[in-house]
Amino acid sequence: MIMKHLWGERARFAGLLAGTAMAAALAAPVTAEEAPITIVINQSPWFPGFQAVVELYEETTGNTVELDVNPFAGSLEKQRTAVRTDESPFDLLIMNAGFFVEFYKGGFMDPLTDIDPEFKLSEDIYDFDESVCWDAAAEAVTCGGDGKLTAVPVNPNILIMHYRADLYEEKGLDIPKTWEELYANAEMFNDPPNMYGISQRGQRGAFDVTFDVFPYIWSHGGDIFKDQKAGDFTVTINSPETLAGMETYIKLSQDVGHPSTAGQTQTNVIQNMATGKAAHIMSVLAPGLFDDPNQSAVVGKVNYAATPGSADFPGATPLGHWLAGVPVNVPDERKTAALAFLTWFQTPEAQEAYARAGSAPVSRAVLEGPMSETEEFRWMKAMADAIPTAGLTFLIPESSQVLAVTELRLNEAIGGQMALKDALNTAAREIAEIMTNAGYDAPMLDDLK
Amino acid sequence: MKSDTFWRYATLAPAVILFVLLTILPLFNLLALSFNEIEWVNREAIWKWVGFRNYARLPNDTLFNAGILNTILFAVVAVAFQMVLGFWLALMTTRVTRLRIFYRTVFILPILVPGIVIGAIWKLMYSYDFGIINQIILWFGGNPVDWLGNPDLALMSVIIVDVWHWTPFCFLLMLASLESLPQDIFEAAEIDGAKRWQVLRYVILPLMMPAIIVTFVFRMILAFKVFDEIYLLTGGGPGTATEVISFTIYRRFFTEDQSGYGSAMSLATIAVIAALIILATRFATRKGPEQ
Repeated sequence: MIMKHLWGERARFAGLLAGTAMAAALAAPVTAEEAPITIVINQSPWFPGFQAVVELYEETTGNTVELDVNPFAGSLEKQRTAVRTDESPFDLLIMNAGFFVEFYKGGFMDPLTDIDPEFKLSEDIYDFDESVCWDAAAEAVTCGGDGKLTAVPVNPNILIMHYRADLYEEKGLDIPKTWEELYANAEMFNDPPNMYGISQRGQRGAFDVTFDVFPYIWSHGGDIFKDQKAGDFTVTINSPETLAGMETYIKLSQDVGHPSTAGQTQTNVIQNMATGKAAHIMSVLAPGLFDDPNQSAVVGKVNYAATPGSADFPGATPLGHWLAGVPVNVPDERKTAALAFLTWFQTPEAQEAYARAGSAPVSRAVLEGPMSETEEFRWMKAMADAIPTAGLTFLIPESSQVLAVTELRLNEAIGGQMALKDALNTAAREIAEIMTNAGYDAPMLDDLK
Repeated sequence: MKSDTFWRYATLAPAVILFVLLTILPLFNLLALSFNEIEWVNREAIWKWVGFRNYARLPNDTLFNAGILNTILFAVVAVAFQMVLGFWLALMTTRVTRLRIFYRTVFILPILVPGIVIGAIWKLMYSYDFGIINQIILWFGGNPVDWLGNPDLALMSVIIVDVWHWTPFCFLLMLASLESLPQDIFEAAEIDGAKRWQVLRYVILPLMMPAIIVTFVFRMILAFKVFDEIYLLTGGGPGTATEVISFTIYRRFFTEDQSGYGSAMSLATIAVIAALIILATRFATRKGPEQ
């Protein structure tokens, strides 16, 4: 009897052991097929979503990805240092739209199709004004001709108008399509310091205030250069059109905006919306944040739309998107591993997971698919509407020097330290000098009077 | 005797070699770079000789000019306040016997806080919408103040943070000096009927002058290198209101990737700081024999 009991116990124990072993085998991490890779990336509002997707990739594939996270300018500096050494410690660089040409033109990035001729950009993924391709011979950002696929976009990062849908409903307002309509709506809600009609970013940074004024100046027909794609570098920052765009920005900030617009960072602007102090903001998307009760006082109250335009020009947003590229100075094994990640990242599953984690995907199929019909992902429609209007801001490796000028002069104009026309004329002279010294033909317009 | 001389040089040599390798050589490298611009073509760094062009650009550089002026203003005002406050705190606490350790620990706390934390604390305190300072002003019925976004206030706001951060440093050095002064001189002054302000003016201050000068020079050197507070609080703005030279160099050298121009700017700044140190040292030497 005792023996029988012991055998029974043993059998049960053996069964338990076998079951545990089987469960453990099933739950065991997938064996890594690729070498570990390191990605250098900046800390942006969309970063948590990217981090979640990387974790999913690791769980799904067993491959290892290390993230080297930095502030915006710090990430750029690390990337420069990495590509200029014998062997880059980073296998994927997450490059910003404002600076990627510097890396392409310097010969630092390996065309992805040179690493693996079979590699391609999924048809579902946006090419963001062809910024994913580089024609080394023509020194041009183009997917036509000899342009080769050099990067995969990882985040759209464009400016979207965020507005308080609950207040709009209360007042029976329509979504503004022009700056005048936005002004009228913002005026209704403006009650400082309790609520600002609009909160705009105006602080100097690496690519801060300049990025945020593009929708205003483009929608008035202005720009910094006449036509970079066509190689016309006539400096137009002091054109009447650019002036009109900046006047619109400043009118909004002075009449219905935040009293400290010149000192507002992206974080401040997002905070103003999240705390219910702003009726409108123009910002890159951080939708997960506004619907998170732990971080937001306006859960379910924020809605999204493409940036307004003017009577003559439709709304347009600058591309501040991020591109993932593989440096030349990385061992082949790690290049292959980086491509494996980029291939996986483009799959619908990864893109949907990216959206669920609170960041905007780069897949047209996801942005326009069934998810966009749900309340949680209501921002997708605005994003899908805005991306076709989005354009590249700089196609020159000297962008960081030009940005130093525009960031200062635009900030001075917004803060009232310099008259707007003087600021634009001064910026034009300084930009022309930078461009001429760099060997471009960069004529100037007559000064604004 | 010869053996002594040999050993003197031999023991000094490692320090001299280290100094040359870590200080002199990089300075020469910086000097060489300042006459060039670097261009990257096909992953190759191409050095392009530009002569004195980088130096010639300096006087017309808005950020450089604002950076130098603001740095001098920042250093002079901040250090003056720190010296006076540090000295006053040292005087106040040197005779305190009760809770002596507690007071001293509290006074030196700011110096122990990492710069990044100081930036976060003060940025939040200065916040236009959510900062405690504006909340208090609102509570008293006033209007919120744009501490960091107003060009007329921004530099002063940063100076306040620096004074809060570095006064303990001055306090510590002054306190150490004050407590090492011989007590019999004070007793003699008391017997001679000297009043408190006379003791301060004719006994304490002259005796402490070497310590005051050393503290002043240390603080001026550190104040000229201010970076983290500006980086974290204002980013040099609004406009050029809080632009300081180390931040300008950082932007030109790293963010804008102008290594040649950034080097010229660095050397010009080193020259200004060196001049300041020489002046301060001469001043200290002149004061020396009076003690």
